[in-house]
Parts: sequence; structure tokens; C-alpha cells
Amino acid sequence: MTVFWCEDSLDGILTGIYDAWDSRLGHSHVKLKTDAQDTLELFCEYRQVETDAVKAEKVLRTVRERLGEEAFEAICYAAACTDGRRADAIYRMVVLGLHMKNGRQVVNCLQNPDVSLVMHLRIKAWHEAHRYMGFVRFEELENGILYSAIEPAYAVLPLLAPHFADRFRQENWVIHDKRRGIMAVHPRGALWVLADAGVLDFDCLGRPSEKEEEFKELWKSFCKSIAIEERRNPRCQQGLLPLRFRGCMTEFEQEPDETGRK
Amino acid sequence: MQVRVPEKMTLMEKLNILSDAAKYDVACTSSGTERGNSGKGVGNCVEAGICHSFSADGRCISLLKILFTNECIYNCRYCLNRASNDIPRAAFTPREVCDLTMGFYRRNYIEGLFLSSGILKSPSYTMELLYQTLYKLRHEYGFGGYIHVKAIPGADPRLIEAVGYLADRVSVNLELPTAEGLKRLAPSKSRERILTPMRQVQNRMEENRNELALYRSAPRFVPAGQSTQMIIGATPENDYQIVSVAEALYQKFALKRVFYSAFVRVNEDSLLPALPGGPPLLREHRLYQADWLLRFYGFRASELLSEDRPNFNVLLDPKCDWALRHLEQFPVEINRADYRTLLRVPGIGVRSAQRIVKARRLGNVDFPDLKRMGVVLKRALYFITCRGRTMYPIRIEEDYITRNLLDVKERLPFGVGDQVTYRQLSLFDDQNFSPLQGTKVQEDGERERLRQE
Repeated sequence: MTVFWCEDSLDGILTGIYDAWDSRLGHSHVKLKTDAQDTLELFCEYRQVETDAVKAEKVLRTVRERLGEEAFEAICYAAACTDGRRADAIYRMVVLGLHMKNGRQVVNCLQNPDVSLVMHLRIKAWHEAHRYMGFVRFEELENGILYSAIEPAYAVLPLLAPHFADRFRQENWVIHDKRRGIMAVHPRGALWVLADAGVLDFDCLGRPSEKEEEFKELWKSFCKSIAIEERRNPRCQQGLLPLRFRGCMTEFEQEPDETGRK
Repeated sequence: MQVRVPEKMTLMEKLNILSDAAKYDVACTSSGTERGNSGKGVGNCVEAGICHSFSADGRCISLLKILFTNECIYNCRYCLNRASNDIPRAAFTPREVCDLTMGFYRRNYIEGLFLSSGILKSPSYTMELLYQTLYKLRHEYGFGGYIHVKAIPGADPRLIEAVGYLADRVSVNLELPTAEGLKRLAPSKSRERILTPMRQVQNRMEENRNELALYRSAPRFVPAGQSTQMIIGATPENDYQIVSVAEALYQKFALKRVFYSAFVRVNEDSLLPALPGGPPLLREHRLYQADWLLRFYGFRASELLSEDRPNFNVLLDPKCDWALRHLEQFPVEINRADYRTLLRVPGIGVRSAQRIVKARRLGNVDFPDLKRMGVVLKRALYFITCRGRTMYPIRIEEDYITRNLLDVKERLPFGVGDQVTYRQLSLFDDQNFSPLQGTKVQEDGERERLRQE
């Protein structure tokens, strides 16, 4: 068995698929892995995969042409997840799809555990992205830039940015994924770009605008007064809005106590 | 009539009073319209709708839900804002509503605006204020997000039509399920006056569909459809009446949604029922379940309930309840049954039925596959076969299946029903893990019944 060890990203996985196929070892003799922390297996040869944008592009084009738009989308979303099995599952799905008479049917082949896993991960990533479409909170800075920090479980920032690029087309905004150190930057009326957050100079961003505090207070009091006391149900609330999201949300900000700590 | 709105009030105070007054309106959905950014203003709409937060009662906050004013000339007995109540009154100006909406929307707090109002002076006067607000918001502020507005019964039809071109969704509250209930608790409203604007919006939407077919960029009238809501438990209607009303509304008025709101007693009034156990949340839950069965699962109200059995089963959801009364139609063969039949199996939903139909074209589907497709097997297994076999040796018998279904606890939303989520660990197989024990279970059940007697 030969294990192809690829980088933990969409491009990394796609390059892994290219290399594993290209190695001509036979599909049953190769395996894809992304997790560097994983325990090494005995009787396995490990090969490091160098991420190559050209190879990734080739695989992506083939997927799009032969497996259809739905499979393409599913693979992109599934790759955003953190599940350790996803690289291999995506590989098996591509192999299966390319061997089918009609590759576009591969997304329906849910009897296959690998396809089923990819489709399952797709929903999980989609759900995370969809939740963040609502849970992102922008803060207006003095210079009019809207700044937001998020900590998503999956790498959903690239899935999220197009939505906000359309919604706030006439705004300058930044969404900062603190967990991964990347950010999406959208200059007014232009295309959004993904950037490394290391280059961001937080002093340059400036302070919150003067209106900001007022709107925060208005929003917090709205969230309080809209709840019906007779139907109070914090467990239901927590099921729908788990605690991990609340760190970055205005309405769940703790009031600073006497010591000034949040 | 004297207007009791104080002159000077901060925006914060107004927002507190007017959002507090609006909270009993149920609808907070932002779904039904797909609209990109206009290129000039701010905002778009997403077909699926987006929830932006969840309040302490577990309901979603998607729209800025406010009343324009809580001043009201009517005295409906169930309503917090009735004329005879001594509560602080407030009113926004159109500009304030627009500023709030834009400020919240830019910070991604909300998906749009939900604007309702108490009746100030007259229905037409109030409706005109709402129209002014929406006009300003759409045209001056360039707002492209979602707007849900209440049409006020008795307002000038021209105003309602004009509002319909600015809003995504228009709703008229039915308030109470029957005309008698309405007469008792809201004497100044009548059923005809409520249904007139509903019919008007429906007809205009129909015409608009034809216009759009001819000319793609014709202005769109109420693109997300209209909805309504009714209060459950304030009047003595049974579930059958309520579900029949909802069905009629879907069929005859082409409504998109009917919302049910468990009655919360906010006023002391001799005509209102006392509810010592809090609002009837389980009943509301069952009605929503039935509502989904009507809209997505092809059920009719008369199948779910009847004059003889006018109320829902407290222990079983409406679909299980129906299936248990129609065991002659089961078991269903997963690999052959058509889509509509699959939908009627407890434990199979719209998504999983669609997945089954697609997957079985490519090969046989078996029980482990079903599990991966999202079928709830612990409910479905009594009603299905895969390749002619049931999952375990079971008997298609009402008593046996009922007992087993009651054993797997239905996952009610938190806070509805009792809260026990754990159980005593037992060395004996009292959860029916192992197959081949149909008869044993029955004996156990009988023994238990004897013990209870």
C-alpha cells in the first residue's frame, strides 16, 4: 500500500488525486491522507505530495466536465471540512465516477460509502457556511470599513465571501478567519480577494466609528425584548445557536465587570 | 380619539417598546425570494432565507420585527396593545425605521424588515404610513433586502397593492381559526374584512405571474407569497377545525405559509382561558407537523383527523399516527414503491425519499444504505422492506408497533414535553435491541399493564 500524503487544502487533495492516479499503482494499492498527526501505518510506503496548482486545475476541470457541476460543488465543499477520511473518499468518488457510463450519476450513488461520505460532508460544510451567512457580525470602523472576525470549524471563508460580495457590493469589508489566519477583503465595487491575515496591520484599520456603540446597544436590547418570557427555552436556543459561534457575536458580548475584564 | 404617544422619546426606548409589542407575531422567515444586488443599493435576498440569531425562547431572529406604532383603536381581548390597556405607547417615524433597518442590515444583524402596526386613527391612515416607510426604504435608501409587511384589513385596496410592489411578503393575520371565535374576542374585526385583502393579494399575484411570463422585468408583486397566522388555544376549536382551515387557506387562497401561535395570556380577561401549564406548546408543535404533512407530504386534513377523532395524539406524531391506522398499506418495498408512497412512511422525509429514488436507479438499496441516506430507521423499520425482507422479524400489528414506537422516545424540541433524557441502565433487554422477540415484547407489555392495574 502506498499512502499519498497531501496538504490539507482543496488544491492539496486534488494534486494528491492526480499523483495517485498518475502513479499507476492501481486504485486498490493507493490511499490518500491529509492528516499529518495521524499514526503512521506499518507496511506502507509514504509519499509526500507537492501541491501543484496546475495539476489541481486539471483534476478540477475533469471533474466538472465528466462528473458534472453537482459533483464539482460537492467535492469543493467536502474538502473544506476537517474529516480525516475526506481525501480518500473524494479520490474513490472520482475513480467511481470516471468508470461509470454516465459520470453525472455518481452523486446519486449513495449506496457507495465513499460517495455517501462526500455528500454528507458537503452538507456539513454547506450548513456551516450557511450559518455563518447569518452569524457574521460587522463592525463599522472610523474610515467606513466593515470588519468582522469569525472562527469557523471548517474552512468556509471562500464559500462565504461571494454571498457578502453581492450583498454589500458598495461597501469596503473584511472578514477575518482568526482560526486559520486568512481573510477575505472586498474593496468597494471590485472583486473580493483571499489574503493572508499576517499582512493585515490592525492599527491601520482604526477604531470603531462613533455610531457603532449606539447600534450595538440597540441590537442587544432588541434581542432581549424580542424573546417571549413565557416560552423561554435556552436549550432550544443553544441547539440552534451553539456556544462556539457566540464568541464573535455582538448580542452575546459580555458586559465588562468592575475589573474591566470581559 | 386622542393620541397618547409621548412627543420626546429616544430611539432606544421606542425600539424597546415596539419590538416588545411585536414579539407575539410569529413569522420571522426570510425565505421565498432570490434577488441579486441591484448594483446601486445595498442588499440581496437568498431563496432559502437566513437566520441571523436566536432569541432566548429559541425562535429565530431573521428580521427586524417591529410595530410602527403600538397605539391602537381596537380592543381585541387577547392583544397586549388593545386600546383599554395602560401600557407605554410609542411610534416611529418612517425615517427612524429606515435608519434602524439600514444600520442593522449593514452590520449583518438582520436579513430585512418585518413591519406591522397597531391601528392609528384608521386602517387606511396606518397603511399609508407603512407605505411611506417602505417607499423611503426602497427608493431613498436603496434597500434591497427582505421586507415582510402586514396588510391591515379595512385599508384602501390601492394602498395594499402599492405596498405589495415594495415588499417581498405580505401577510394578513387571521387571528383566530373560526369566525365565531373572532366575534367573541375581537368584535371590531370580522372574517370577511380579513379575507378581502387576502383575496386581493392572491388575485394580484396571479395577474403578476402572467405579466412576468410576458415581460421578464415587469415589477414583481409580493414575490415571496403571502402568509397568515392564527392563535391556538384562546378559543375552544379542536385540531381538526384548525387543520381544515389551514388546508382551505392553502388551497383556496394559495398561501405560502400558515403560522400557529400558542396562546400566551397577556391580559386579564374573563373571556380568555386560563392556562396553568403555560402556552400549549405541544399542540402548536403537532399542528406544525401536520402543516408540513399537508404542504410537502401530500396528506389531506381529512386523512389526519376526523370528526370522531378531532384532536392529535399526544404521544405519537401525526404521521406515525396515520400509518398505524393504515397498516394495510404497509410494509412498503423501498426498491419499488413510488415517491409518494415512500413519503408516507414514518421516518422517511422529503430529502431521504428523494435520495432513495435517485440511488435505487443505480442498484439495490439496503438498510445500512438507508441509514446513511438519513432515514430514521428506528421508526421506519416497522413499515418497510428492502429486497423483500424486513430489517428484523417483526409483526405488522398495531399494538406491537405502537408499543415499540413509544419506546423509542420521539425527539421533541427541547422544552416541549417532559425533559428526561436519561434512563436507568438495565441488564435486561427492555429496549428491544435484539431481534426475534416479538412475542416476548407483547408479554412484557401485558405484564406491565397488569401491574399498573
